[in-house]
Amino acid sequence: MVLQTSKVRQKAVPLAEFVADVDRRKAETGITTLPRNAGQNRTPSKRALLKAIKDLGGDW
Amino acid sequence: MRGGIKLGYRPEFEAALRLFAQVSEALKRRGFLAPVLVGGAAVEIYSNSAVNTGDFDIVTARQEEFEEELQLFGFVKPIGAGRATRGWIHPDLRLGFEVVSAQLLDGMADRDRVRLIDVGVEGEVAIVSVEDMIADRVGQYASGTASEMLEQATSLFILHPEADLDYMDRRIRYESGGDYGVADLQSKAKGRPAR
Repeated sequence: MVLQTSKVRQKAVPLAEFVADVDRRKAETGITTLPRNAGQNRTPSKRALLKAIKDLGGDW
Repeated sequence: MRGGIKLGYRPEFEAALRLFAQVSEALKRRGFLAPVLVGGAAVEIYSNSAVNTGDFDIVTARQEEFEEELQLFGFVKPIGAGRATRGWIHPDLRLGFEVVSAQLLDGMADRDRVRLIDVGVEGEVAIVSVEDMIADRVGQYASGTASEMLEQATSLFILHPEADLDYMDRRIRYESGGDYGVADLQSKAKGRPAR
């Protein structure tokens, strides 16, 4: 399936292939975690959305 | 798990990704361009959940139509005091979606570089390029308000050796007001496993 996102049509990478590539690089480099966004630049709308998710029990 | 490395995406994130694909396909059927995922969820995509995000930041010029589709897929607007948000939440997934712009990184990102991922029967998702994501992170770091973003950028740089360094350098320089470039990431990545 081809999805039009611009004037050119691009070929999509299968999810499993994409995930396997990144997993392989993570194993090779030992990169297991990235620092979380500290949230200093969040808009009031974003803060309200994240609070609503947290109130629902969202754990991220 | 393999060698202590957690593989793939956390289940709720992958479920949201599949939902995003369905909404994207619905918009496409209506004749519109696919919405593009940016922000922390794009970082989670490019790192296979090495960092977790609570919401999907979306770029689309068709906000109204996108939000119509979100509602058809079970998203609701949070209600109540202190909940004035442009975002939408899915009560079961406990994740949110928010349209943050009509233009991709203020129109400076090359839309032809958007990465397409085929998630299966649900369809495809469009993700801002890893080069643009790295540049965005360095730009936030350069602003002086998000010191953690340099480490995010460096890790993505190491994880994606396929990235176009010339394009990335131009974008980093733009986003950082000329203060940083690819050489800074190469220097920071030194001593860590090679790209």
